[in-house]
Amino acid sequence: MLLAIETSCDDTCAAVLEGGRILSNVISSQAAAHAGFGGVVPEIAARHHLELAAPVVEAALGEAGVTLDDVDAVAVTAGPGLIGALLVGVSTAKAIAAARRLPLIPVDHLQGHVAANFLEPEPLEPPFLCLVASGGHTMLAAVRDHRGHEVLGRTLDDAAGEAFDKSARLLGFGYPGGPLIQQEAEGGDPEAFEMPVAMSRDPGLDFSFSGLKTALVYRCRELGPEGVAERRADLAASFQKAVVDQLVAKLRRALKKGRWDAVALGGGVAANGPLRAAVAELCERQGVRLKLVPLALCTDNAAMIGSAARWATPIPYPLYLDYDAFATGERPVDGPKTQGGLEFSARQQVRS
Amino acid sequence: MIAEAHLGLSARGRPLHATGLLAEVERCVAAAGGWEGVDLVAVGLGPGSFTGLRVGIATAKGLTLSLGLPGRGVSTLEALGAGIGAAGATGERLAVLDGYRGEVFVALYDAEGTTIWEPAVMRPEVLAERLDQVATPPSVAGSGAIRFRDELDGAGGIHIPDDADPIHRVAARHICALAATGKGSEALEPIYLRPPDAERWRERDSFQRAD
Ligand SMILES: [Zn+2]
Repeated sequence: MLLAIETSCDDTCAAVLEGGRILSNVISSQAAAHAGFGGVVPEIAARHHLELAAPVVEAALGEAGVTLDDVDAVAVTAGPGLIGALLVGVSTAKAIAAARRLPLIPVDHLQGHVAANFLEPEPLEPPFLCLVASGGHTMLAAVRDHRGHEVLGRTLDDAAGEAFDKSARLLGFGYPGGPLIQQEAEGGDPEAFEMPVAMSRDPGLDFSFSGLKTALVYRCRELGPEGVAERRADLAASFQKAVVDQLVAKLRRALKKGRWDAVALGGGVAANGPLRAAVAELCERQGVRLKLVPLALCTDNAAMIGSAARWATPIPYPLYLDYDAFATGERPVDGPKTQGGLEFSARQQVRS
Repeated sequence: MIAEAHLGLSARGRPLHATGLLAEVERCVAAAGGWEGVDLVAVGLGPGSFTGLRVGIATAKGLTLSLGLPGRGVSTLEALGAGIGAAGATGERLAVLDGYRGEVFVALYDAEGTTIWEPAVMRPEVLAERLDQVATPPSVAGSGAIRFRDELDGAGGIHIPDDADPIHRVAARHICALAATGKGSEALEPIYLRPPDAERWRERDSFQRAD
């Protein structure tokens, strides 16, 4: 049995897994705490994680109806993410594991999103193509086995969810922006404003969303505050369409490049209705199976971390005592492209 | 005392909380004969570096949860004050920690360890002015006293011991001793003394808008 902890961004999460079966999956969202800022504030996130981590772990054990005596290993998100937030999860997980001499399994957050598809019921078996889009990351990955993934494309600037949040702020919506833009867009005309479909001429599979945001800034300036208020639904619909179009265009291109039988969608942006519909349509036309995990497994959660941990390398006690988290950007972008089970080295301990 | 460890900085001058703390905890516990011999996990709640506090408190919370042990959090300034007393001070004790950003974390305790000045964050010049109002100079120590020696030494007649004096270090044994006598709190809530940056900006923005 596995206890998993995830604190890479603004959700404090813990889960208990028995093989690929979820016994509990507790998510304590901090969205309200960050709403007034229009985005995640790292210091506020870290403070909340410290308050919530232990109670959330206890809730996960309680909901699963187990105690730590039943747990064989502790899995934790080691990165990438907000370093202050990650440190709380890693410190908590290390202490829980060390006190009981249990192994620790550090997990790559993005491999977690991939591994959400391996969970029961109806686990998706590799190989498949995986699109992960959220507030923190946007990537297209080739998943050929359970242990890792190959990044085929990633965003060169903003993440898709980040673009939604920034645009929501421009249009005067709250945070998180995705659901609010989708809601507003329902009454709008997606063709009303022309938005650049970035990277459409780029032959690669990378994404870019900052140009879209800039285009929206110009439209808003042209319209003035009153015009924006009047055309808000059209602006939201046009912006949303441009994001969805780019994501789907790259997915289509990736499908063309390789031979894939299945596509999986993950990350918070996977909750977007028009994106789901567009991807479903694409998959149907191409005769490819589409796997959509439940929403609670799309957004950040600990069950997906536990799922990835099943194929990652456990670090036996006491070799992980000096294990450290790593922040977004700390891993060399041009490094080895296949990621998954995190390599570890018991560093020389420095004492004074 | 059975065992105590103190981790300084790495060779590159970085704190070792995240990589070093748990290993030292394990070594101290091993010296005590294992967790079976431990009744309480005590932890310094700050003030201090935000990251350092979170690693310390998250570790303590993880240990208490895992072992089913009670935990107790103690003010780091109070522990520093207790250390000043243990070093032989007979009067009041002024605990001054480096508060970063050009400020100090400070608290004043009497000879029995009772709080006279609640923990606060302030500029060293402001502390120097406050010290000028104090009748008898307290004994002083801490990383903030070292850092702002130029601003603080002599203020109100205080004398800051040599930088190398161990009195300046917060010792884990004083955290333990205070917790064992029931000081501090069961809730392991950090003492930040500062709102997160974003909240400060928001306050400032709304203040400017109200102007
Ligand atoms: Zn994520």
